[in-house]
Amino acid sequence: MNPILPVILFVVIAAAVSVGLVVAAQLIGPRRSTPVKAMPYESGMDPVHDTRRRFDVRFHLVAITFLVFDVELLFLYPWAVASRSPAGIDAAVAEGSVGGRGIVFAGAMLFLALVVAGFAYDWKKGVFRWR
Amino acid sequence: MIPSLETIAALVKIGLLVGGLMTAAAYLVLVERWMAAWVQDRKGPNRVGIPLTKIRLFGLGQPLADGLKIILKEDYTPSHVDRVLYNAAPLVILAASLAIFAAIPFGSVLPPLGIDGLPDPIPFLVAPGFSVGILWVFALSSIAVYGVLLGGWASNNKYGFLGGLRSSAQLVAYEIPLGLGLLGVVLAAGSLELDVVMTQQANTGIWYAFAQPLGFIVFLVAAFAEAARLPFDLPEAEQELVGGYHTEYSGIKLLLFLVAEFLHMVTAAFLIVILFLGGWHLWGVTGSGDEIGWGTALIRFGVFSGKVLAVILFFMLVRWSWPRFRFDQLMNLAWKVMLPLGIANLVIVAIVEEFRPQMTEAMGASAAGWVALLLPWAVFLLGWITAGVLTPSGTDNRPIRADILEDDGLFAAEHALLTGNGQVTTENELSNTANADSSSGSDA
Repeated sequence: MNPILPVILFVVIAAAVSVGLVVAAQLIGPRRSTPVKAMPYESGMDPVHDTRRRFDVRFHLVAITFLVFDVELLFLYPWAVASRSPAGIDAAVAEGSVGGRGIVFAGAMLFLALVVAGFAYDWKKGVFRWR
Repeated sequence: MIPSLETIAALVKIGLLVGGLMTAAAYLVLVERWMAAWVQDRKGPNRVGIPLTKIRLFGLGQPLADGLKIILKEDYTPSHVDRVLYNAAPLVILAASLAIFAAIPFGSVLPPLGIDGLPDPIPFLVAPGFSVGILWVFALSSIAVYGVLLGGWASNNKYGFLGGLRSSAQLVAYEIPLGLGLLGVVLAAGSLELDVVMTQQANTGIWYAFAQPLGFIVFLVAAFAEAARLPFDLPEAEQELVGGYHTEYSGIKLLLFLVAEFLHMVTAAFLIVILFLGGWHLWGVTGSGDEIGWGTALIRFGVFSGKVLAVILFFMLVRWSWPRFRFDQLMNLAWKVMLPLGIANLVIVAIVEEFRPQMTEAMGASAAGWVALLLPWAVFLLGWITAGVLTPSGTDNRPIRADILEDDGLFAAEHALLTGNGQVTTENELSNTANADSSSGSDA
């Protein structure tokens, strides 16, 4: 059996359970609307202007930094898996498509060094300073 | 079309998992309340038992009563929300946090049953042979961020919006240390399948928590943050944000959010046990092979569940014994402490794994094994000491407002006084000292 099939089944069932719970509660629960219920909850105060306004740019900075480092990490996964698995680097070396284990290791370390250099630059520039 | 036996087996496993997880989440809430009561020296929920009788059963009826009550409540949609996103958010977050378990094993294997059309032995895993298991777990835990962000945004409520922002910033910040901790394990195990990771630990007898102590600590802290458990529960800091991103939710949708949050903790406990604490393996009790009898199968399942429960209880104990971080401390911990430590762990694990054959050749298997074990511990101690020296607990750890330091002489002077170092050079302070000098001079 295709190993993906149970995964798809699981996603479908999980979605069905979530939707089913909500629909069931919609059918069972009471429905009574009042003007006050429809207001945003702000600790009992009358709400002051809309929520969707400008917010701190630092959140954007965190998101961008996250993207950079997360993608860099994802590049490391193939190397990490291939490092010791039977069909990985060793097989490629034996077959001759890769020069040797050393060059792969050096490449991975060089990549990590670049990541660290970028990290140090970000730190120096104050990207991580949350004030 | 009649589904094949394998599909039926998969459906049975999915049913067991979904039902078991929902029930477990309900009863773990009760356990957590008992734990809170125990820590705070009070009694906790102990009344709800069998209805219409006086039998209390230590409060075991509480989760059922709570669930029934919340389903019977009104599921209200306020008028100011973005309806589509508002309704989608709890569905996304619960479906994602359930579907994670497609790739997470919940035990070892059943003994061979000898049924035609079924693989022997049957693994305790919904999708055996799913070769990107860890990536699946990682991807779906990222989708949970969408649920939180959608919920906070669609609510159109200031508490909800702030909670959603904080939450997404925290979740993405801690995803990087989480990934770094995972990478070390992937590198050592050479596979993305979680059951293979457990088998590797059982075969060598060295759990990855011992082989990669630094990775374990980094992963543990990041897992706490990803599950938004205290001391990292800023997304819904009740005292500041009411309910955070689910402030505007009521009834069943609130329940979905809360269940999903609990499932995140359960997932984190499963991952910690599988990746770092050996899974079903316990020295001298469970063995390590694939061919086992019913007794060993039961023991393995017991060991696995016991470990998961112990980690969950640890999560709960931490909740009641630690104060919450401030947001800048949270970010500092993620970017300035956990990320460098994670990279250090990855480098040392890579070096050890790369040169293990050469070391074995040069000095024999046992000596090489000891070096491979002690080197990560040396780096762990070094990292610990470095982090300790650079951020001693006694320093003034208020947020340093550089903008204020430049503009506001008073704050700068106070800051310098409190930290006991730094030259006070603001005009205000200079004139003060000059005055003091002249007055003392006139007295003499």
